[in-house]
Amino acid sequence: MSKAITADAIIIGGGVAGLSTAMQLAGRGAKVIVLERERIGNGSTGRAAGLLGQLRGNAEHTRMLMDGVEIVRELEKQAGVEIFVPTGSLRIAETPERAEEIAALVAMGKSIGFEIDHASADEVSRMLPYMRTDDLLDACYSPTDGHIQPAELVSAYLKIGKARGVEYRTHTPVVQILLDGDRVRGVRATDGEYHADVVVNAGGPWSYLNAELADAVLPTAAIGHYYLTTRPDPAHPVDRLSPAIRDRHLRLYTRPESGGLIVGIYDPEPELHDMRRLPVDFDMSRMKAARDSIQVAQLLDAANRRFPWIDGRTPMSITTGIMTFTPDARPFCGKMPDIDGLYHCSGFSGHGIVQSPTIGLIMSQLILDGESTYDCESIEADRYFDVPGYVNRVEIEEKCVRMAGNYYGGVERPRPVASGSR
Amino acid sequence: MKILVPTKRVPDTDQKIVASADGLRVETDHIPHVINPFDAIAVEEAVRISERLRDVEVVAVGIGGPEYEQPLRTALAMGAARGIIVQCAKPLDPWNVSRLLKAIVERETPDLVLMGKQAVDDDANQTGQFLAALLDWPQATFASRLEFIGNELRVDRETDHGIETLTLTLPALVTTDLRLNEPRYASMAGIMKARKKPLETIAAGELGVPLEPRVEVIRYRSGDTRRAGERLASLDEFAALIAQAAGIGG
Repeated sequence: MSKAITADAIIIGGGVAGLSTAMQLAGRGAKVIVLERERIGNGSTGRAAGLLGQLRGNAEHTRMLMDGVEIVRELEKQAGVEIFVPTGSLRIAETPERAEEIAALVAMGKSIGFEIDHASADEVSRMLPYMRTDDLLDACYSPTDGHIQPAELVSAYLKIGKARGVEYRTHTPVVQILLDGDRVRGVRATDGEYHADVVVNAGGPWSYLNAELADAVLPTAAIGHYYLTTRPDPAHPVDRLSPAIRDRHLRLYTRPESGGLIVGIYDPEPELHDMRRLPVDFDMSRMKAARDSIQVAQLLDAANRRFPWIDGRTPMSITTGIMTFTPDARPFCGKMPDIDGLYHCSGFSGHGIVQSPTIGLIMSQLILDGESTYDCESIEADRYFDVPGYVNRVEIEEKCVRMAGNYYGGVERPRPVASGSR
Repeated sequence: MKILVPTKRVPDTDQKIVASADGLRVETDHIPHVINPFDAIAVEEAVRISERLRDVEVVAVGIGGPEYEQPLRTALAMGAARGIIVQCAKPLDPWNVSRLLKAIVERETPDLVLMGKQAVDDDANQTGQFLAALLDWPQATFASRLEFIGNELRVDRETDHGIETLTLTLPALVTTDLRLNEPRYASMAGIMKARKKPLETIAAGELGVPLEPRVEVIRYRSGDTRRAGERLASLDEFAALIAQAAGIGG
């Protein structure tokens, strides 16, 4: 390729963050090219379980997720695929502090009009006959939650994006970000230059390396994650609309999958990956867990406590992949103050699938309007800019690993939102 | 009874593996390494036998540098009782691997050698057969089922013509195929115990086996893995193409 290709925006990364942003930008008439180092959806996107729990500790995040479901409903109509599976969700408490957490969560949810209520151990047992419930102190049920099927979401983003003229180039790693002083003017990929006034770094676990191409610091870290999927077992049938479960005490989440059960864990001592050490064309879809992985052993141990029929001999597959964590488990969306035109969209900390529908909209607003209709204060890309302790990789990784390790372990104290505010 | 399980550490062949620019080696430095999947099946089968029968000791062995501790610890975590690393910095061909293994078999005097039918890095599928011949032991390759009947071992082996059943007298050598079992993930207790299990290191030179390389690597070349596809207009066209390839229909 001798002559540079020009576009309005270049998106680095063909995962859900990049695909959603591309689709939204193109919907407003922008010419967009997505550059993906491997195949579309090969990274974290392809390994995700896609659980959607809309109620967050922060009212604005809850609103983003609730609106995301509406966007997904629209995508389903346009693309003709089932993306959202409305299973409902349960949170369970086996300790007094987790019971307090659930009480606070129910109060907070009700204060913003979110459908949620307490559920007794008997009710939980009726809904989930395959789960141990005799140790539960409390539970809460949210009927409008569920999960998003990652592959179907990707295909909808692609189908609609293509119809809107987005160009997708796979097996095309970006090797350089082209700058003109403090302005971005494009990228150089392995097949040549792409010129645009807007470059979006949606590289997931690779995004901190993309940022480094522009001498920018993006405080994210690549964190290993594991879940198991049991094969269908007539002795323990799992209905496809069986509610998702969150057991923060055991650090587990579950959802139905093809007649079996997905059980994942937010490990207290997660693995840190150095993305620089992985080949640039690393195939995350073929990533494997070692037979003596401590993370898998911990997952099996915790899963067995909640589902006594699951043990090391249960026919199952183990899925492992890499998540992108930030020091506060919230994503980075937007620009840094010192480089114009370079936008970051990364750090979804295990929630990229379900956040992506609204995040794409927010990114398109930030890029085309300079502001969003959402309050983006807690997800601004520059919130750690030049903050001591968040500059070099060692300190960034230490903070992200700590956040990932405490992710399910820490007890939340959600507070009801005062009436009048949103 | 004692079961010896030779293992190999291999790059994860599901990742893209390329030859170095000079063609002298394969670039595997950044690729995750695993215990050879067929060897993991052999370890699993040996451990299952040890769980089923009394007084069975499973010994895992590996040949290579210090990095071989990793697959051996995996075998120990899965349930092997102890491990042996035969230290040898040079890469070996299957003939010399089997000669070193023969020396280990003579030291350990196992009743059964269980090993993967091949390693997924070079797919040589030779070491088991060489070793059985060197020992002059009965062998059953590509095993999909193992059963002890009295002092004999009955083995189903997968062939291109179907399942062949052999009865072997011990000591014997069996190489494992994919469908023999599904290897376990080690439990927390298994991983903790593995850290304390004995892991002996023997220098290859101490085994009194002069190495005699029979295979010389001249050059590695990356194969072209991407095949050109073609977009067809209809399902009928696709069906016609399949029929043509199969030599049926018009």
